[in-house]
Amino acid sequence: MSFSLLAPLALGLAALGGLAVLAHLARQTPQDRVAFGAMLLMHRMVKRLRRRRRIKDWLLLAMRMAAIALLALGAAGPQVVYPGGVPEHGGSGRVVLVIDRSLSMGLQEAGETLLSRARDGATGVIDGLPSGALASVVVFGDEAMALTDELTTDHERLRAAVVAIQPTNETSNLQAGLHEARRLLAGEPGEVLLFSDEAGPRTVPDARTELEALIELGSTVLPMPVHADPPRNVAVTRAQYVPGVDGGTLTLRLANYGPDGLEVACEVTLPDGQSIPIFVDLPPAGEAEERVTIPSKALGGVGAAVCTDPDLPADDARYFHLPRVGASRVLVVDGDPGDTPTRSEVYFLERALAPWGGARSGVALDVVAPTGLTSLDPDVHRIVFLANVADPRPFGPLLTEFVRKGGNVVLAAGDNITDDRYNAALGAILPAPFRQARSLTDADEPGIPLVLPPTTDHPLFKPFSRSGRAAFPKVRSHRVLTLDAYEDRPDEVTTLLAYEGGIPALVERRIGQGRVLVWTSTVDWGWSNLPLQSAFMPLVQGIVRYLGGESGSGAARFDGTVGEPVRIPLPDLAVEPDITGPDGQPVRSRIEGSTLIFRPDAAGAYAVGLPDAPPLAFVAVNTDPLESDVRRTDSVVGIERELDPERFVVREDLASASFGLAFVLLVLQALVAARTRGETP
Amino acid sequence: MGGHRSRRVGQAIEFADYQEYLPGMDLRGLDWRVWGRSDRYVVKRFETETELPCAVVLDLSGDTGTGKAGLGGYPDLDRSKAGYAITLAATLLYWLHRHGEPVGLEVVAGTGMPFSSLPTRGGRNHLQLCFLVLASAKAGGVAGLGDALARVGERVRRRSWVAVITDGMEEPSTWLPSLSAFARRGADVRFLHLFDPGEYALDEDRPVLFYSPEGGDTLAVDPVGAREAFGEVVAEYVDEVKGGVVRFGGRYLPASTGQPLETLLRRVIRGAA
Repeated sequence: MSFSLLAPLALGLAALGGLAVLAHLARQTPQDRVAFGAMLLMHRMVKRLRRRRRIKDWLLLAMRMAAIALLALGAAGPQVVYPGGVPEHGGSGRVVLVIDRSLSMGLQEAGETLLSRARDGATGVIDGLPSGALASVVVFGDEAMALTDELTTDHERLRAAVVAIQPTNETSNLQAGLHEARRLLAGEPGEVLLFSDEAGPRTVPDARTELEALIELGSTVLPMPVHADPPRNVAVTRAQYVPGVDGGTLTLRLANYGPDGLEVACEVTLPDGQSIPIFVDLPPAGEAEERVTIPSKALGGVGAAVCTDPDLPADDARYFHLPRVGASRVLVVDGDPGDTPTRSEVYFLERALAPWGGARSGVALDVVAPTGLTSLDPDVHRIVFLANVADPRPFGPLLTEFVRKGGNVVLAAGDNITDDRYNAALGAILPAPFRQARSLTDADEPGIPLVLPPTTDHPLFKPFSRSGRAAFPKVRSHRVLTLDAYEDRPDEVTTLLAYEGGIPALVERRIGQGRVLVWTSTVDWGWSNLPLQSAFMPLVQGIVRYLGGESGSGAARFDGTVGEPVRIPLPDLAVEPDITGPDGQPVRSRIEGSTLIFRPDAAGAYAVGLPDAPPLAFVAVNTDPLESDVRRTDSVVGIERELDPERFVVREDLASASFGLAFVLLVLQALVAARTRGETP
Repeated sequence: MGGHRSRRVGQAIEFADYQEYLPGMDLRGLDWRVWGRSDRYVVKRFETETELPCAVVLDLSGDTGTGKAGLGGYPDLDRSKAGYAITLAATLLYWLHRHGEPVGLEVVAGTGMPFSSLPTRGGRNHLQLCFLVLASAKAGGVAGLGDALARVGERVRRRSWVAVITDGMEEPSTWLPSLSAFARRGADVRFLHLFDPGEYALDEDRPVLFYSPEGGDTLAVDPVGAREAFGEVVAEYVDEVKGGVVRFGGRYLPASTGQPLETLLRRVIRGAA
């Protein structure tokens, strides 16, 4: 705060204060003399009053001098200048209205959202613009967009555009909004009217460079008030699953951005529809962490933690990945590691079951050598995949018992398979005794194709129910493992796939709850082209899902933020995957190289998959937790005041106040003087 | 003096003479036989009642020369407190003389007098001498009440009747103790506190310079603003004097120049305050 005088020389009038002193000293003395016979009493009275009179005399002198000083000060034109003022808009003739439509602008207060207030304010400004004024409107969330290509005088068009602004769940990129405004001003000064809550810890500081540029341009950014007072919001800022005791733990972190403590009712919904209600106590303007124990059996996928509050519903839910909980691991026994990846069955199985690697996959593969079969744990492993294992005899009883107890075994053929050993070890659970492998064609020929599955009613072929069946005839094998003659028996032995000529390709045997599937060819390039065909991945995943009983167990997991591009590296696929949004509708996407890119506009679970196939990946899309912080930590005005303090000061003219106070003092001194008049000896 | 009961009641009482009845005399002294024979009101006088020495102590200091509340029908002597006091003193002396009492006069301060002290005596000539002194007296000078009262007190005859007429405008603490001299002589003291109600009320209506005729500083005072405080001071002062007079054996009688002289005289004679 500073103090200045418009006419400092007028302070010389303060010398008139000396007149007050002279007047005080040269007080009027009466001239008439009166003989008085009670002077004794008069002296007594004077003595008594002297103390009182002395105080009043000084008070009178002080008031008179102060009055004269104030009169002189008023004549000098005093001004007090202090920071705090915000310039009002108008007068420049070039106006850009920048409107925030980010998630936090959905905050509700008194039955309306901040965005609706912003719209009303903006339309009011547009209605008040002079007819020739140039104006435009910029809206911003993650990105900024000008509603007109350039400044225009068509105010009706601008008004209609403002009314049509819809809220988003995006973050506040104020910098982008101001940048777009600066572009519209095209290097000339103007006014930028900002309709934003300026909420969040980074929104305003990140826009500092743009504010600097606008101020250098000679423009002014004027925030228009659309804040909630006080802002309140409760948001789930984190939801993370950690394996552990029982089915593991889901850790929730909730933030209360309001000034009052409160108890919030939340509900955790697992991918399989299970619901777990909880209540969370939140301190004022603080956080709380809550741990939710996941049941010992739960399907994998994307779940949601929802904590409802009336202020900003858009960020009430937080979506999280939950892997299959329970016995869902696949034990892959690698009987033929191979000298190159393409000659390794395990290589192709891993790519099919966990295309993005084990860390992001819903399926946990335990790859072991044949001797590792001793690690088979029926409580953990649901499926054993024997890939071209030469001699299963040491583990025959173990596998037989595993199947009889409800386990599942998948056998893939190969050069290492010996019929005698298999029949001896696993004869009790095979669909039919093995016979020797036999070549159907020469190895350099395409081989015999599969025929279409006779029906898609089988759960294994559900993903192919619409158009995917056409992929099967493209699978060809030139050598297969043959079986003894057998007959399909419902609920016992079923030929699921066959080659032309009826040669069995995939045969199932059921033993109680257990199942044994035999793929009579290889799962690498040795005997078949299956790994190169589009049917390979959904077929292998379908087998696992069918045997493991989990839908989408092989799906990868990705995270995304509303409004920001989600990039998913694609495995080698022959067809382009689709993306389905939380509402079940397809989401527009594009592929750049081997990356699938889409931009979610709402929070929820997005599924990435091939047509008619189980999802290849799930994307849990959430709103940005920073956007949930609806409190203002910085203000545009504050930064502008730092950058250009002269524009943001208040000048108070104190002349009137000085004159008024002087008048009051003069009246007061007159009253005091009148009261003390007779007491003056 | 008809107004006084003899201190020697019970002893032998001799008849002295008759005296014409005057208003205020005790009716018990009326001689009803004489009234029956001659239709005259006469009072019997006895020897024991005739010899009450009376003295008037009159303060004519400069301060008593002020005031303006003289009453019509009386010699106002410049309408001052002194005029009222001289009139009062002369009337008292005359009245005492008519009642056959020997009278004396002590004038404190004052100017123009051939004598300032006349001893207590009877007789018409002595009374005329007292009147001569009073007629020539004017207010002036400083009383020095403490010394004056002490001196007079030592001079008065034992068991006498004394009227002290003064405005008491000196610090009471300096002269009140002197009243004890009268008490030591067995005197019956009537203290007539002389004042002008206009002065006590500070009835000037414009700022003026007040000064004392006895000298000293002047004081510029606006009476309108000072009236309230002055009233408080007056009340305190009167209480102080009244208490002191009573404490030292006297009877206090306020002597306002604004009240009729006969009213005051009646109180003095009856001894009622």
